[in-house]
Amino acid sequence: MKVIEVNELVKQYKGAKSPSVDGVSFSVGKGEFFAFLGPNGAGKTTTISILTTTLSKTSGEVRIAGLDVEKNARKVREHIGIISQKPSLDTALTAEENIRFHAALYGLYGYRPTFALMPKAYKEQVMQLAEIVGIKEALFKPIKKQSGGMQRKLEIIRSLIHMPDVLFLDEPTQGLDAVSRRMLWDYINEVRNTYGTTIFLTTHYIDEAEHVDKVCIINRGKIAFCASPDEMKRQISYDPTPKVCLPSLEDAYVQFLNAEKEVS
Amino acid sequence: METALNLTGNLAIARQKATAKKPSRFFREASTVWAIMCREVSVALKSPSTLAMSLIMPIVMMGMIGGNLTQNMAGGLGFDLGLFMLVGMMINMLFTATSQGVATLVDDNEANFSEEMLIAPVSRLSIVSGKILGSSASALASMIGTLIVGAFMGITLTLGQFAAILALSPLICLSAGALMMIPIGLIKNRKAANMVSIIIAMPQMFLSGAIIPIGNSTGILKVISRIMPMTYSLDLARAAVYNGMPEYGAVVMFNPAVSIAATVAITVACLTVGTFFYARSEKNR
Repeated sequence: MKVIEVNELVKQYKGAKSPSVDGVSFSVGKGEFFAFLGPNGAGKTTTISILTTTLSKTSGEVRIAGLDVEKNARKVREHIGIISQKPSLDTALTAEENIRFHAALYGLYGYRPTFALMPKAYKEQVMQLAEIVGIKEALFKPIKKQSGGMQRKLEIIRSLIHMPDVLFLDEPTQGLDAVSRRMLWDYINEVRNTYGTTIFLTTHYIDEAEHVDKVCIINRGKIAFCASPDEMKRQISYDPTPKVCLPSLEDAYVQFLNAEKEVS
Repeated sequence: METALNLTGNLAIARQKATAKKPSRFFREASTVWAIMCREVSVALKSPSTLAMSLIMPIVMMGMIGGNLTQNMAGGLGFDLGLFMLVGMMINMLFTATSQGVATLVDDNEANFSEEMLIAPVSRLSIVSGKILGSSASALASMIGTLIVGAFMGITLTLGQFAAILALSPLICLSAGALMMIPIGLIKNRKAANMVSIIIAMPQMFLSGAIIPIGNSTGILKVISRIMPMTYSLDLARAAVYNGMPEYGAVVMFNPAVSIAATVAITVACLTVGTFFYARSEKNR
């Protein structure tokens, strides 16, 4: 079953001479771990914005969980969660206040003005998540006094608290140290393995996409390559010898983009 | 091992909540309005500059401008300018502070916090309404500040008069916020939002009768005063305050039913158009 279906998607920003996303088509199955890679300005974030209903498309068809993202935007939003490139936290609030606000927007708990007044289940869930992700100490401190890494961890907790069917991760580990990165991936993998959450990832750390189910490379607004990481490593090696493949996805990715540059 | 157990336990709670019977659409929207409203109040309470402005503005507006006008221009009006101005300044505070609060939607946008609200499965109208009602809380603080400054100047309201203004304040704030939503739906940066906020507030303060009576205005000034949303909110508040007083006829311009109808109509129209602009500007780039 396809959870994300994108067909001939085009997005041209107002005043732009050419489309940022130009006829992109791909699909992602339920529970799949999908990596959407590409250089800066390739159209990754634009595509994610359309998929997450925050940007309108110029043409094409996009469906999430079988629902059209424009006609059923509100229902689509119930199925998705996002950790975006630029943190979307209220820096005037504390970490916990941000989580509480999010939980209320998603109808998980009614909003109460203080943490102490929130239901027991909420308190337990937040405290546990904070411990797992390592922000327990900072939970009641204002966001603006916390490091970028801490803010990222908070975004992770927030995006997962409503258990979305599809989780969009737009460069989620940017600014995280190695330990935090590992912790994040452990948690995301646990979520995925336990509940079959579909993951849509964009990242510049190509090693993070090494174990995904499918990789698509977008370049200059067009899909340039789509395959499994192993297939990609094999096909891009340009070695005629069968079964010889590049050692890593990053090698394949870099080699592919360099070849594209030479062609253009 | 312990982490794995924690994870599984936490995921179980999360899944249980996520798959539990969802509350009704109405409840969720109301809960959203409440959450956004509380967030606005919380942010305002943590902002020293907002708190300072809530105290300084009434002193400047009521204490300085109001005091000066009362001392120098009150003669021959046929009513007490002090009380007239106190009510005017209180409503003006509600209007101005709510408008400024709504203008912070641009800040939310610049800080990317808008994404958190826009990606949530809630209506844009609830987001906008929550923002306006939250801003109204700060506006109420300024209004009460004005009342206190007025008391220091010897101008007071009875408890009944204050209660009447308090009862009307949600509608008045909603109309102020709704009006501000129209430009805010089209503006993307803070500087422009501040400018528009002043452009909307200043003419209303002088032409809708907040500090200067407009009952005898003629020509273009009369036309402008009649299209100012605050004119009707002010007249409604004065109708409530002056009810049963001999000055009622000299102060109140319209039948309260007309003022209510005009305020509600302006609020609904502005809220609809403003929300449309806001939702469209976020998506249609």
